[in-house]
Amino acid sequence: MRTSEAPPSYRAFRGLSAFFWTEVRVQSHESTAMATSMVVQGVLLVFVFILDRSLLPVAFLGAIIFSMFTMGQRLLNEAAYIRIDHKVNELYLASPLTPEAYFLGMAAGVMFVYLTPVVILFVLAEAVVGYALPTVLLLVGTGMLVWLFSASFGYVFSTFFRDNRAIWAYASIVFNGFGVLPPVFYPLSYFPVALQPVALVLPPSAATALLQVSIGATSLPTGAIVLAAGALVAETVAMFLFTIYWARRKVREA
Amino acid sequence: MSAEPLVARDLRKVYHTRGAPPTEALSGVSIEVRSRERVALLGRNGAGKTTFLKIASTLLRPTSGSIEIFGHDADRNPDRARPLIAVVPQEGKPFFHLTPREQVYTYLRTRGLSREVAQTRTSKAIKQMGLEEVQNRLAITLSGGQRQRTMVATVIATEAPLLFLDEPTIGMDPFARRAVWEALRELTRKGSTMLLTTHYLDEADVLSDRLYIIERGLVLMEGTAEELKRSVGGTLKVTIAGETQHAELFRSFGTVMSDASSLTVIVPPDRLGELMAIAVRERLTTTVGPVTLEEAFMRAVGRSINEDE
Repeated sequence: MRTSEAPPSYRAFRGLSAFFWTEVRVQSHESTAMATSMVVQGVLLVFVFILDRSLLPVAFLGAIIFSMFTMGQRLLNEAAYIRIDHKVNELYLASPLTPEAYFLGMAAGVMFVYLTPVVILFVLAEAVVGYALPTVLLLVGTGMLVWLFSASFGYVFSTFFRDNRAIWAYASIVFNGFGVLPPVFYPLSYFPVALQPVALVLPPSAATALLQVSIGATSLPTGAIVLAAGALVAETVAMFLFTIYWARRKVREA
Repeated sequence: MSAEPLVARDLRKVYHTRGAPPTEALSGVSIEVRSRERVALLGRNGAGKTTFLKIASTLLRPTSGSIEIFGHDADRNPDRARPLIAVVPQEGKPFFHLTPREQVYTYLRTRGLSREVAQTRTSKAIKQMGLEEVQNRLAITLSGGQRQRTMVATVIATEAPLLFLDEPTIGMDPFARRAVWEALRELTRKGSTMLLTTHYLDEADVLSDRLYIIERGLVLMEGTAEELKRSVGGTLKVTIAGETQHAELFRSFGTVMSDASSLTVIVPPDRLGELMAIAVRERLTTTVGPVTLEEAFMRAVGRSINEDE
């Protein structure tokens, strides 16, 4: 009889792969949302193209980083929608699927689907600008870190609300505020000097600062580069670990 | 430690909401569910049924008390309990952009079942819930009842040792409800145990081996449906429509219950003739029927199950 069997030992990411594919299947129906995920980036690129084409190498990198950053907003919306509207989170969380696998599976599923327009944008950037391999590798690395930070932040943020409409308003302010206002789409040197250290510790602008250095669009002392890289890695790791803790804690407050 | 499917002892749950006084949803609830039993929690909205189910399914921490799932402390060690349970959440909806087949299959895969087993069980659950015709349609295009059947199919397909079902047949037509009942009976025959909440007293009557009546966070009664019905004090009920003024006239026959529009008298069969004679003399419109869980609930709680707080 099954009830006499001991349950399997705890594995932190049990069920991750299956839940990832579930989320991919769910998200892949949102073709309109996928297309419109590039609206802000597209508009800003058009502005840059009209106003100062020499900034296109910076703007393309910023557009890609911004795209990775706003995936956190999509995760936030998805996590809140599932929890508040569908309550189907209870089906999954009261099961062998671990809370951390639930979070990471959802985050990775959203990212996988919304990566398609980002890849198209990257191909366009390569065709127009043609980045060197080290820059491309740096773009992949920083892009993943920015995604992991924003997905973690978005998941935690989603747990504070009981009403989807309130979430959408605040999420838009947070993600557009941190993704557009700091020097993500434009060179760090255009940002007020006194505020540049702040930009270097915000994940999206820290990532773009490093990328801008790699293409020679911005020059930074070694200390500033270390600060940007260190902040990006440390904040991402810290936010991810906190989210794992938070996901486990909040599952008991359904 | 006990190896019973569920043992809850003196569970209390107090909700603290900012700007509002603390609310005690459970005030010391003790419930035991034995192997292969189907147990129903009956109660009005806000009685504490869903809070209990959430604590039992590891989704909520109790303020005090203990709860064990197959001997595992579900509060302190939920990771041990979760593989043994499956839950139909109240008002839960499937993913709108999955088909019923995809919903059931992918859920089984997240629980670690192999592709082959997941496929087999998915097909069976889809058939049991009468979802064959819509199994490949996105859930967003389905009716509310079909979505609810998808949720139930998802959970019964797990064949988990302990199932929690919070209002599992809500929004379903009578045929679908019967299909759910039959599927749940089959699962208990195969070895599963289940705890369900329901507003449908007929469902609780035909489906559950034992019932708990909960009101304001307390267990008021516990027993089989027959035991609860017997506790009312008679086997027949006489409902007098449009009448609330003659309660005193019938009090000597047994329990008298009244609501806004009618009077219900519980009467032993040997005194039915006597009561009917009075009703005819007073020109009262009466209906005679067997005592149901509704009367047991009314007697225990003092109000109908459909009355809100």
